[in-house]
Amino acid sequence: MKLTKVMVVEDDPDIQTVVRLSLKMRGVADVLVVENGEECLAQVTGYKPEVILMDVMMPRLDGYETCRRLKENSATRDIPVIFLTAKAQQYEIGRGLQMGATGYLTKPFDPMTLHSQIIELLEEKDID
Amino acid sequence: MDHRHILDSMGSALLAVDAQGKILFLNRALAVLFGVEPREWAGRPASELARLVQSRSGGPAGLRLEGMENVEESISREIEWRDEKILRHFREDGAPLRDASGHAAGRLFVYHDISREKAIDRMKSEFIAVASHELRTPMTSIKGSVDLILSGFAGETSPEMQELLEIAQKSCDRLVRLVNDILDLSKIESGQLKLNVTHEDLTEIAVHAICAAKPLADQTEVRLRVERPHPIPLVAVDKDRMEQVITNLLSNAVKFSPPKKEVVVEILPHDGWVQCSVIDQGCGIPEKDLHRIFGKFQQLGEGRRRGGTGLGLAITQALLEEHHGVIWVESRVNEGSRFIFRLPALGQAAARQVEEEAPKDPQTA
Repeated sequence: MKLTKVMVVEDDPDIQTVVRLSLKMRGVADVLVVENGEECLAQVTGYKPEVILMDVMMPRLDGYETCRRLKENSATRDIPVIFLTAKAQQYEIGRGLQMGATGYLTKPFDPMTLHSQIIELLEEKDID
Repeated sequence: MDHRHILDSMGSALLAVDAQGKILFLNRALAVLFGVEPREWAGRPASELARLVQSRSGGPAGLRLEGMENVEESISREIEWRDEKILRHFREDGAPLRDASGHAAGRLFVYHDISREKAIDRMKSEFIAVASHELRTPMTSIKGSVDLILSGFAGETSPEMQELLEIAQKSCDRLVRLVNDILDLSKIESGQLKLNVTHEDLTEIAVHAICAAKPLADQTEVRLRVERPHPIPLVAVDKDRMEQVITNLLSNAVKFSPPKKEVVVEILPHDGWVQCSVIDQGCGIPEKDLHRIFGKFQQLGEGRRRGGTGLGLAITQALLEEHHGVIWVESRVNEGSRFIFRLPALGQAAARQVEEEAPKDPQTA
């Protein structure tokens, strides 16, 4: 599987840079970074990403609610959402998956393996 | 002064019941708490009082006064009470009441309002959860940036830069482990840890733990081995948490073992328990330090230099206590250490139940 187009929903500018560069290092050239859930919903249908990496705690619209709305909409339902968040407690992971997310990665993540972890989660989903 | 006046001046609520379950005495604080008139209740059955209090809307959950009058041991437990829409917490201390000759003559109940302590506990846990979340965000940026520079992606680095960045990387990894350990320990201590208990063979869990610790052991060519000379009963444990316990003990044993030595996990049945020992041939622990080894941030010798957080054994002990287990250590300097824990073995009936409950045919399960 080859990733070419990823949307990153993240409000922290430093983490935006680290995620963007760690994907660029693995050859993902097209990465769109947006700052919150509202921006994600506004741009997702036009951008059509292969996968969305989503933070949970963000201003305006948080990651759980954004994911729920993406899954409600027939135009965006099939875009896999992977949470990338510091909320690492078990019940929080469970809540993320209940919202229809494909997977859950916790911060701090390893920028060297972020790309392969995303691919693994997407391939697992395909097998299911 | 009459003893009754002394007991009426107490802040905690007190109730004394005789051997027939009749009320001997209740103090003013209990009368206020239960909303009753003390004089009306002397000599009446405690069970009636319990029924009256519990019949009111929002009465205490789990108040049990009948059938307890002849219980010999002291029992402390917590009960919740929704008082005018406010949830209050009480600790009930129940103890046998003894007459002048020391014979059991009923039971004494004392109720302490612990709502404030509970609220502080909850605030502490919330603070730790939020603080660990807030710490993770900057740690992610630091770790991510350093890892990316070290990978060479951002250009070449001089050997000195490389060395300094590796220090930053190692320290950041240690900080991550520390935050995770603090969060873990606070969850256990505040009773928020949810155990997913199943009936398991500890040997299988030990084998998984060995796989997890193997990369660390390979660095110094330390060999890891499981020994289980006899069949052992199953134990009721959270599989992941028990693997965490054994992995903690194994990684400590490996860290303190000289290269090319062996670490053995020995599992034995022991008189209603399953006993697991993690045995190393490392530097050992001086006798004067043995008593503080399970304390928080108690790193002995070179623990800190070896990347430990100082919380591993405190977490291990707390997790075992959550499983009704015990842990201790036996050690000799320059000969090695033996960390031993025991978990209650499941009886044969429980083991049979596991077999019966297990799906026989995956097609029909």
